[in-house]
Amino acid sequence: MKKRMYSNFTLSISAKPWLLAFGLFVIVSGQTFSQYAGYSAVADLPSFRKEFSSKSASVTSIQSSFTQEKVLTALTEKIASTGSFWFKRSNKVRIEYVKPFTYLVVINGDKILVRDEQNENRFNTKSNKMFQQVNRIMVDCVQGTILESKDFSTRVFENDRAYLMEMTPSEKTLRGLFQTIVLTVDKRDYSANTIEMNEPSGDKTTILFTDKKLNTQISDAVFAF
Amino acid sequence: MRCLLFSIICGLLFCCISDYRHLQAAQPDAVCTDRIAPLHIETAWYDASIDVMNNHISGLLLIKDMPDGSHRIVFTNEVGVTFFDFGFSAGSFKVHSILSQLDKKPVVETLRKDFELIIGLPFQKASFNRYLAGDEIYFGVTQKKETAYFITSKDCASLQRLELGTKRKRKVSVRMPGSGYPSPDRFELEHHTFNMKINLKRIPKE
Repeated sequence: MKKRMYSNFTLSISAKPWLLAFGLFVIVSGQTFSQYAGYSAVADLPSFRKEFSSKSASVTSIQSSFTQEKVLTALTEKIASTGSFWFKRSNKVRIEYVKPFTYLVVINGDKILVRDEQNENRFNTKSNKMFQQVNRIMVDCVQGTILESKDFSTRVFENDRAYLMEMTPSEKTLRGLFQTIVLTVDKRDYSANTIEMNEPSGDKTTILFTDKKLNTQISDAVFAF
Repeated sequence: MRCLLFSIICGLLFCCISDYRHLQAAQPDAVCTDRIAPLHIETAWYDASIDVMNNHISGLLLIKDMPDGSHRIVFTNEVGVTFFDFGFSAGSFKVHSILSQLDKKPVVETLRKDFELIIGLPFQKASFNRYLAGDEIYFGVTQKKETAYFITSKDCASLQRLELGTKRKRKVSVRMPGSGYPSPDRFELEHHTFNMKINLKRIPKE
């Protein structure tokens, strides 16, 4: 018994430098891999928050097309959908999927309309916690108030053209839905380029906004129901 | 009093009448079952809706035929949030993930049985009991207290529907309008003992 303990002890001493080196490699490489290719961390986060908040406040409306891709990583399956997106400050969002299925979500303040091919439902987001949270994320992402959300801890990165915000949910319900939400924002006009929702299972959904028109006149009728 | 007695007797008689009383046992027909039994379903995405007790959920449903012969069924909403991910193979069932709001034993069990019927899992057992019923032929596989049927036209030319029932009660039926197995265009599943429907419409591949 003593002999065995001794040999284990010897092993632990002789293995220590290697373990230390391996540990350092893991820590260093972990830091490297946790960042995003082509992006570096934003050094002055408080001033970024201030600038992001004021610049995105100048975006009063967005009209855009979008392509959404859901990837089931373990099953090597994916499905793409396309549609149109409208945002009007504040708290008005219309998302209309047209291909390969039709589906409409309209958010107008606390009210939400969901229409699929067979059914139409109207909710008050206050009556459903999950809807309220998902609604708030969507609105916060497009109107630039996501950094103020208490539901996430956020890391911010940048390159020449875009900011990347990696948001990790701190709230229990959201943690069950998303591992992270990654938002990229165009540096020229502070509008959202992509929203990537990463699920705990490893599956992810990416929404890419294209043909963006900012600050054009959008009738309130677009969000009426 | 007489009226009440009459109502009770009528009620008792009604509840004892079997939904399958019209089935007449017949000789097996291996030629028909080999040709038409819904034993294989190909991978496809479906536009899906589930209606339960006046609640409506819509989304996208993937039926994935895995290389090892098992199946995965994943249901997500249109925006991309996964509601559930189930794994099915002969003799085993696994919940890979499920939203906490849906993670209730009766919900999971109901969905498990419904999707087992859709992917034809009960029919993987090779022997079928054959019954004649008017213009239709029932091929049944008994499993514990329930029997799963696939029902064909009298000439075995077309698959009419699938059913799951007990000895007396029809519990679930599934119709497949449009093209049939292995790539059904549509599924219309209906529960007959409570208010629940599942509708699936295949999304064509790009």
